[in-house]
Amino acid sequence: MKNNHKPKVAIYDFTDCEGCEVKIVSLREKFLTLEKRLDIVDWRLGQERKKPGPFDITIIEGTPITPNEIQLLKKLREESKVLVGLGACACLGGIPAIMPSKERGKWYKKIYGEKYQPRGIDALPLSAYAKIDFLIHGCPVDGDEVIRVIEELLSGKKPAYRGYSVCFECKQANNPCRLIDSQAMPAGRQPCLGPITQGGCGAVCVSGGSPCYGCFGLREDANIEGLTNILEGLTDKEEIERYFSMFLSREKL
Amino acid sequence: MKDFIAKIEGHGNLTVDWNKDKVKLNVFEGERLFEGILVGRTAEEMHWITPRICGVCPVAHNIASLKAVEDALDIKVSETTRQLRDLMACGQIIQSHSLHLFFLSLPDYLGIDRGTELAQKNPAAFKKALALKEVSDEIVQTVGGRNVHPTTTAIGGFHKVPTKVQLKKLLKKLAETATAARDTVELCLGLDYPELKVDLKLAALVNDKIAAVSSNNIAGRVESPVKNYKKDIEEDIRDYSTAKFGKYRGEETLVGALARLAVYGDYGEKYDLDFTNPFYNNPAQAIEIEIYHRNARTIIEKLLAGDLDARIIPPSKDASFIGIGAVEAPRGGLYHEVHLDPASRGAGKNNIIVEANIITPTVQNLTSIEKSARALLEQTKNRPQKETERLLNMLVRAYDPCITCSVH
Repeated sequence: MKNNHKPKVAIYDFTDCEGCEVKIVSLREKFLTLEKRLDIVDWRLGQERKKPGPFDITIIEGTPITPNEIQLLKKLREESKVLVGLGACACLGGIPAIMPSKERGKWYKKIYGEKYQPRGIDALPLSAYAKIDFLIHGCPVDGDEVIRVIEELLSGKKPAYRGYSVCFECKQANNPCRLIDSQAMPAGRQPCLGPITQGGCGAVCVSGGSPCYGCFGLREDANIEGLTNILEGLTDKEEIERYFSMFLSREKL
Repeated sequence: MKDFIAKIEGHGNLTVDWNKDKVKLNVFEGERLFEGILVGRTAEEMHWITPRICGVCPVAHNIASLKAVEDALDIKVSETTRQLRDLMACGQIIQSHSLHLFFLSLPDYLGIDRGTELAQKNPAAFKKALALKEVSDEIVQTVGGRNVHPTTTAIGGFHKVPTKVQLKKLLKKLAETATAARDTVELCLGLDYPELKVDLKLAALVNDKIAAVSSNNIAGRVESPVKNYKKDIEEDIRDYSTAKFGKYRGEETLVGALARLAVYGDYGEKYDLDFTNPFYNNPAQAIEIEIYHRNARTIIEKLLAGDLDARIIPPSKDASFIGIGAVEAPRGGLYHEVHLDPASRGAGKNNIIVEANIITPTVQNLTSIEKSARALLEQTKNRPQKETERLLNMLVRAYDPCITCSVH
């Protein structure tokens, strides 16, 4: 991206909770500074102004669950130089991906009744339908991580993924280890997906007393087998499966 | 397909039949089937999963799920837990209302498009918007561990409670932003709202009851117990929407800021609010920012006056394994119901969910949006079609619908 023009940016949201866009607004002054360097030409949640593509950068939040969304994703891919996924729904399928596609029919009937014509097909990550240039992980994303990625794109760099796990940041946050430290955990050792999950979140969930469910996606060379061995010593198969299906159900494990 | 309405949470638009004065609110959001997702997960995972229904009001979903599970496991939380949850809910309402007012709705009235354009148009007001966003984010961050999707909350209490030092810091910040809250009320009351007269029910939770008044007569109140919520809030399926359309006891009902002010006190006279005009939901949100900003300070003062009770209360032996959690979310009454499998492991966090039901505020508002839109069409006959279309979109935005929540 050359510096002599502001890059044309589009921000889209598919089916999701829109919490990652809320994180962007929560950046406040930092967002204002960043916004000055961009020409946001299409952002339904933020503005009525809407210009057609092509776009230099398109940021997509949410999972493309309906045929319209899938079609739109393919169109946006064609129209965008750089396509960035924002948040767990876009990058991994997110919480909606807990629902297996083969069970959707049963739940449509139960929730909406027999006559209902469903729209959704399956909650899959963007990458199921189009090549995505970079994934900003998290449920929700970390605001500063959004700034880092966009700034790197603006300076013409290809952003890099974090080469370390959540454990690294968890140690920095001085948290006792859920998996190991039986003394410090009120209810004894507890499951956690920190070791196989990419860092960048600051270990915010473990710091709050919750487990890491892996919303930042798998780190490179994640030792899943090693972690599974440890988890098997702590809990039953069903609970391990629930941990791995919270955000990682569509990952190849 | 027409474009989606901009500056609302989620994807929807209106189909207008200009000859018959009919309006359909089409909802396109994909179905995530949360009630199905929850079945087979544990009680402990419910308050982790349901906030992901909505990133604008995740705290409301978090607390509703916790209350449902605690009802099912017969847990009475400590006073500290109750106060901290109330504090978090105050932060949630200010977060959501300030986001909606400054970034989604007020641009309609101020002649701008994107909310950040307010930085040039009215720098003083924009500074206040940011101050309110900041302080409300900080309330939820301090108590909940993160400003979107809490990490510290647990069945029976909190994994971690904030320190008194943190609470004092929060109190200081609230004191510093009190004028921002007051000035926002003044700003919103000073705007011109389009004229509209609609006969609606206005409903809000009062303890374990739903209280409803009529927009024409807020003195006459009808009450019904929360435990009958499913029967009283009837939902129907429409072929143009992935969200259900709710009615409270057979009537189109408005829930949220304007309804709460109608039900909770004599705000109508104090602020000259017109409860028959849903556009007044916007000034009502501003008034609520000030109310919950003040409530937040009161709660922190109470917390600082005593000892913080960090106990997590365990399930009781008398658990019924069926529970309902109802809270006033920013957009109105939110209901979570959960049925747990008693056989899984006695009463505890590992009980498997066998059934779940969720009714969100916007499900209730959708029906009343259509009624108000019809009234708007009837009452703006002499206007150009384009102008009426603009007003219709403004009306939808004034309701602050969360389509994301309504589909879930």
